[in-house]
Amino acid sequence: MTAARESFLSRVREAVRQGNRAGKAPVLPERGNVGYQGGGNDPVRCFEAECTAAGARVHLMADREAGASCIMALVQAVQARSVVLGQNLILEALDLRRRLASEGIAIVTADGSCLGERHYAADIAITGVDYLIAETGSLVVLARPDNPRSFTLLPPVHVAVAETSQLLPDLFDLFGPDVQPELPSCISFITGPSKTGDIELRLVTGVHGPGEVHVVLVT
Amino acid sequence: MSHYARHEHHDFLGATQKALADPPLQAALLRLTGTLMAANRRGYAVLADSDKLRDHAKRIKEHTLAHLDHYLEQLEASVQRVGGQVHWASDAEEARRLVVRIAQKAGCKHAVKSKSMTSEEVHLNPALEQAGIEVVETDFGEFIIQLAGERPSHLVAPAVHHTRESVARVLSQHLGETLPDDPRTLAMTGRRVLRDKFRRADLGITGANFAVAETGTIVLITNEGNGRLTTTCPRVHVALVGLEKVIPRFADLPVFLKLLARAATGQTLSIYTTLITGPRRKGEIDGPEEFHLVLLDNGRSKVLATQFRESLQCIRCGACLNACPVYRRIGGHAYGGVYSGPIGSILTPLYDSLADNPHLPHASSLCGACQAACPVRINIPHMLIGLRELQHRKKRLSGDDLAYWLWKEVLCRPWLYRLALRAARWLLWPLAKDGWLRKLPGPGGGWTQARDFPAPAARSFRQRWRELQ
Repeated sequence: MTAARESFLSRVREAVRQGNRAGKAPVLPERGNVGYQGGGNDPVRCFEAECTAAGARVHLMADREAGASCIMALVQAVQARSVVLGQNLILEALDLRRRLASEGIAIVTADGSCLGERHYAADIAITGVDYLIAETGSLVVLARPDNPRSFTLLPPVHVAVAETSQLLPDLFDLFGPDVQPELPSCISFITGPSKTGDIELRLVTGVHGPGEVHVVLVT
Repeated sequence: MSHYARHEHHDFLGATQKALADPPLQAALLRLTGTLMAANRRGYAVLADSDKLRDHAKRIKEHTLAHLDHYLEQLEASVQRVGGQVHWASDAEEARRLVVRIAQKAGCKHAVKSKSMTSEEVHLNPALEQAGIEVVETDFGEFIIQLAGERPSHLVAPAVHHTRESVARVLSQHLGETLPDDPRTLAMTGRRVLRDKFRRADLGITGANFAVAETGTIVLITNEGNGRLTTTCPRVHVALVGLEKVIPRFADLPVFLKLLARAATGQTLSIYTTLITGPRRKGEIDGPEEFHLVLLDNGRSKVLATQFRESLQCIRCGACLNACPVYRRIGGHAYGGVYSGPIGSILTPLYDSLADNPHLPHASSLCGACQAACPVRINIPHMLIGLRELQHRKKRLSGDDLAYWLWKEVLCRPWLYRLALRAARWLLWPLAKDGWLRKLPGPGGGWTQARDFPAPAARSFRQRWRELQ
């Protein structure tokens, strides 16, 4: 093990030395502002356009009450009998547990120690997000005990709930120089529904991940 | 036999002829490469500062490779800090042995794989199967070619050589039922079959597009989501990663993310970009309990020491394949190696051997379209010429050398040049029909095999110029 490591690294060290021509060690460049696209004058519109182009549906809602109704309509549209439900303050404020329970819909959460049949069998996922990126139309989701990485992945339909305060103009904004030393175990960028073009370039959605992605964005 | 896995057909010219005589393949290649190439150009066009960003990305790679030993050690420390284990594989055999040992130690029996070129490179699947471990490719295209017993023929569209009919045939045969050849039904059947595999799997195997030294993060990019499932469902995750995939800082990552998808498919980002930092944390119900990073050399350090170091900057987007007039005609399988297209014509001779792949450096018109499409602007034509030069140095005096010497001698003497032109006109004129030569005699026959040669004009340019004066 350590012998393998040592011979591996010493080989690389020697190759680096041989390949580095004298006096030409390139420094690690600072990016400055190069490549920063931003979200334009209206980042919400920019996000909506990019996210829609990627094949997701964006529902702009004026307030939380309208957002909650929109979510319930989406749940009913797929005749969902069980829902995986993430946790965060925004979802809490929408009072979704009560609304779902009153429709007789089973709620699956992250209770328990591992993924179970109920997670695989759920008809729809309702989750929060940590960030939205206007430039790319992406959702950014950080794995946490109450927001498992599978929630945004296993069900055929994913409803992501967000507020405009979570919107970042550019991908670079998420990768600032002051990175916390310990990142979460998994950060997922989601840009539209799961897609494949493997058969004659015909686009088919939902081959592995959700085939439908809805973003309910409370403005 | 070197450690670099090759495919059975190494007869490059034969494989080329076969590809050219395959109309469905020709149609599929034109459709794929035409679509992706246009997307690549559009992707760069709409990205403000794309040229500067590409230069910046290249400089990051240059710097990293010039300090690779340092960054590999930093990567190791970061992965260990977040609870992962790091293994060092000098060659393909060691990589296979390490992965099999990790699987056996953890008692794994069912592996799912997310598309990984490094695992292709080391022939991982047969080794796992021999150890009694089931291996399933989960990228839909890779799944099809695994069932068909083939190899990927494009970096991002591995099953481009298949039609909907052949996919239906392969899947139907596997499932013992008759499936219609409608892409949606086929893909949804794939979802059903593969979802079962994910539920049962105890081992997830991936490559990585990037590995961040500062944080120990590995990055997986897919459009289907199979990379996410592979790192969500099984309890053990092994990432087999080429040593050149390391980048220094977390903040360097978005530079490459912005370029990769745009170069590959014209998307602003691929559907799923997944940043994995160690195994699952306390309290999480999914994600692997064990995370293993296997760093692979397999000939890369050898390249690092040479003038071909720049080839290690490749981020495997496939843009050079789509841009290449040769790849667009012959497809990936004809190249014989794991990596195809212009970049494969460099990597295969370097990782395998130049002597065993003598045609690859010549499988290029040196038009430069590959470099123009490359997100990190790798000077592929320059390196192909470098490989040709190496071949030349090793060879005895050949017919080519004689021909070029003769050519030089004639060009240096105008009177001889004029004489040669006149002679050529007299010799070739009887063979011409309607201003074209359909078939040249002798070694010239190679030229007219696939195209016509223009017949010499009745009067030379210089003659006509004199008359115009």
